[in-house]
Amino acid sequence: MSVKSVVYKKFKDISKDEHISPGTALCAGCGGLLALRLAYKVLGKNVVIVNAAGCFTLLSVYPYSPFSSSWMYTAMACAPAGAQGIRDALDILIKKGKLKSEENLKVVVLTGDGTANDIGLQSTSAAIYRGLDFYYFCYDNEAYSNTGFQMSSATPYGSRTSTSLPGEINPQGTAQKKKDLFEIWRAHKPPYLATVSPSDPVDLSNKFEKASKFKGPKLFIALSPCPPGWSFDSTNSVNIARLAVQTGIWPLKEAVYGEVKHTVIPKFKPVEEYLGTQNRYAHLFNPVKQVDVINNIKKDVEQYWKRYLEV
Amino acid sequence: MVKEMLTGNYAAAWGARLSEVDYVPAFPITPQTEIIETLSQWINDGEMNAKFTNMDSEHSMITAAGTASATGARVFAATSSQGLLYGYEMLYNVTGWRVPLVLVNVSRGLSAPITLEPDHNDVLSARDSGFIQIHAETCQEVLDTILMAYRIAEDERVLLPVLINMDGFYLSFTRESVEIPDKDAVSRFLPEYNPKHAFFKASNPMSQGVAVLGGSVYSYFKYQVHLASLNALTVHNEVAVDFKRIFGRSYSAIEAFRMDDADYVIIMSNSFAVKGKSAVNKFREMGLKVGLLRLRLIRPFPYKELRRLLSGKRAVAVIDQNISPGAGGILFNYITTALYHEPDRPEAILSFIGGLGGKDISHTEFNHIVGEMGKSIEIGVVPETQLLYTKGDLEQINNLLNIAGKTSEGVERLRN
Amino acid sequence: MIKRIRFHGRGGQGMKTASRIVGTASFLEGFFAQDSPLYGAERRGAPMVAFTRLSKETILERGIIVSPDINMIADETLLGDKSANVLQGTWEGTITIINTHYPASHVKDTHGIVGEIVTLDITEIALNVIGEPVLSSAAAAVVCKLTGVITKSSLENAVIKELSSLNLKKETIQKNVQAALTCFDRIPEAHPRYRKPIKEAVNDEIVKLEYANPRIGTPSVYAKETTKLKKTGNWRLFRPVIDHEKCSRCRTCFVYCPHSCISIDEGDYPQIDYNNCKGCLTCFYECPKKVISKDREVKAW
Repeated sequence: MSVKSVVYKKFKDISKDEHISPGTALCAGCGGLLALRLAYKVLGKNVVIVNAAGCFTLLSVYPYSPFSSSWMYTAMACAPAGAQGIRDALDILIKKGKLKSEENLKVVVLTGDGTANDIGLQSTSAAIYRGLDFYYFCYDNEAYSNTGFQMSSATPYGSRTSTSLPGEINPQGTAQKKKDLFEIWRAHKPPYLATVSPSDPVDLSNKFEKASKFKGPKLFIALSPCPPGWSFDSTNSVNIARLAVQTGIWPLKEAVYGEVKHTVIPKFKPVEEYLGTQNRYAHLFNPVKQVDVINNIKKDVEQYWKRYLEV
Repeated sequence: MVKEMLTGNYAAAWGARLSEVDYVPAFPITPQTEIIETLSQWINDGEMNAKFTNMDSEHSMITAAGTASATGARVFAATSSQGLLYGYEMLYNVTGWRVPLVLVNVSRGLSAPITLEPDHNDVLSARDSGFIQIHAETCQEVLDTILMAYRIAEDERVLLPVLINMDGFYLSFTRESVEIPDKDAVSRFLPEYNPKHAFFKASNPMSQGVAVLGGSVYSYFKYQVHLASLNALTVHNEVAVDFKRIFGRSYSAIEAFRMDDADYVIIMSNSFAVKGKSAVNKFREMGLKVGLLRLRLIRPFPYKELRRLLSGKRAVAVIDQNISPGAGGILFNYITTALYHEPDRPEAILSFIGGLGGKDISHTEFNHIVGEMGKSIEIGVVPETQLLYTKGDLEQINNLLNIAGKTSEGVERLRN
Repeated sequence: MIKRIRFHGRGGQGMKTASRIVGTASFLEGFFAQDSPLYGAERRGAPMVAFTRLSKETILERGIIVSPDINMIADETLLGDKSANVLQGTWEGTITIINTHYPASHVKDTHGIVGEIVTLDITEIALNVIGEPVLSSAAAAVVCKLTGVITKSSLENAVIKELSSLNLKKETIQKNVQAALTCFDRIPEAHPRYRKPIKEAVNDEIVKLEYANPRIGTPSVYAKETTKLKKTGNWRLFRPVIDHEKCSRCRTCFVYCPHSCISIDEGDYPQIDYNNCKGCLTCFYECPKKVISKDREVKAW
């Protein structure tokens, strides 16, 4: 199936309508919020978000709501199941004539990476398997940020979290490599799957636009630079996201029914340029440079891209 | 109206079908599975206009049930035992969302050790979740209670989910004569669900299940669940009047059996109550003034009604088909609480644990119970909680211990 | 004798640590001490509060301090934030410390603060000595001095102990000690005060909560886009200012604002919603023409 719908070419193509109002409790400079805001502009207002416990729980704290649309807070493990219930209910109520079809909503699951990779993986897999017609937006800040930045299985190798601190036993900090959620999801062969970055709003917008043409699971992993967790100044979120893309650490790609295509070929800036912007990697440079660890990170990036650039 | 031989599971499926539910999210577990199999078939054959979805766990199932109900659909689900516990987190969520779904639990003892037959630790573990709880004695009552449950749940004075309990095997797989009401009669009794407080539609955005911060906000909403549950007492009784008018069968929060002149009262719940009724009949033949109360409404707990029924009785024996290790029977506590301020309260309230994992309660046990009640009155000392366990039971376990190599005799045999 | 100290700040400024430094200093001084933060949902930049109690006897209190003896307001903009309620329970016996470059008299009149007021530009000291607007040690030092019962050496040891537990570099800890000692010396001894008995607590009463229809009695929200009422503009330390004369109307700032605080006006120019802009300065950083400047926010209130 070929779908051509590249409608976003420049910043001026991005809608002036906002669907998340200012004043939320989220941190100044939150990269995940920027990605969600940009996605929302494409999704429009006829949306119900099904949220799992995480930073974004705090988007709506009683009695406030930042949304022009609907919201359902479920629990950490089960937002995709919550989406199933809403989708099924809307479908049957419309079928039975109890709800007018113009009242229909897009169902959007909103979770962090801990939920997507760990506690909520089962319910996500099941929802994709069932072919649920929904969007999944994972804001990947690479740790359990809402609880103070503990390690999740999306935490990258060599970074520091509050439960994978660099020390004598593990001088590199996190010893495990980030789980490849994209590939786990891709194994289900959903109609549409993509990574996005707040640094690349045009790419992000086109992906959400393209996804809208498919019925079934439409899944997104959004790189979400986290100023307090990654330990950098809030001015720097977009720049750090950009460096993640440019160094090749965060590949921007999509998969249509499992067929992968990279939407941006990076400039392959040295990974140190990315690592050096965040204190969660500071132990790799000070007091002594952990050359092995940095080389391992480099090697992983090289191997990843080698595979794709050869194809 | 037709009468058929139905299992409790099949009766439950009929209850959902007659209630014209919109949605059934499902996950299998013995001894509940027949309910969802039946509904799956009916929906697939077009006999029910509803959506059926196979979920990936009870946690997901209760979530989907809750969000579908929050969207405005009438929702039915069923589970049992470990399944109820696996979805436990979401029980509190759906009551907080104030969504009127109906969930049937088919009771089964909790692991470990894993087993199949019933006791009520599973369903009673949900007693503080905010679900209305109604426990059924017969297959007919299972069907009827589902119809009543939607009326109660969807009433604006309540708007809480309802958990209906039936015993695994003793009801779930047991066939007995059940009257299946007419569709027309049901539609006169149960109108279509028209959500006013919680729904999702494009023209009317809303945020549901929103986080709160601070104890006074939390207390306010939490206490509303309590007040709503208390309202369900009145609503249940109103609904029961309507039910009797339309279907001819009568249900109350507590069923009183041969209570009028009773001096001694046995309190039970669920399907084993029939065993108690049989024992009461025998005692009556012997000239003993024994009666029985069957607790049907567990949440809200019918304190006032219980007090009225037990006022002036000489002794009460509570048979808890559950155990709270380190404390004893769960229902015993609520019953003693109900009676504390009653000036004419019974002289003795005795606590027994019986029927765990489906263990039979025979006439031997009932004889013992009545004997203990008499003795307590006579000597003025009330015994501590007792397990209803017979010599025969002990012989059986000793044999098994031998085979398992847990006794000196068994160890010896293994050596030879 | 019990001293109740309340710390008001914004997430990230270090008031939790400040409360702990004072707690530890009291402990080292031989007092019974207790410290605790109160977390809201809000995070970096949002109002937060922490408490320290010290006493010669066992402390039979917990949780929030309604009426503080010492009230540390580490962010002057909080005075204008009703939801932060930083002056709650202050009375003639309270010493209020405000981190500001304004003189005490000005602040007192502007806000009608009762009791004694001490002002000090702690942020300035932190920026000069530590190089970052992290106020924990400096604020703790001011408080320690004003208790009148904590010595300089206990303060110093407490700063080292608390900051070491945060895995800070030795060099950073030394700078913090320096900032703390500077502040300790800058603040005059508090007058040995006779603490008047607390005025009669407002006598609230128990009410009976009635059932509410679930349209009211559920934690759902029917109103839309209401977070803007929260006015998160007072989180700002720096204010981004667009030079519209030089602006090329490229929309970069609009696209990259995470908080939906930049809109495009009829003339196609970006406009910043200062009521809510949290001052993350992504726009300042990303502007390709560099026509957005940042101004230190000193008069947010």
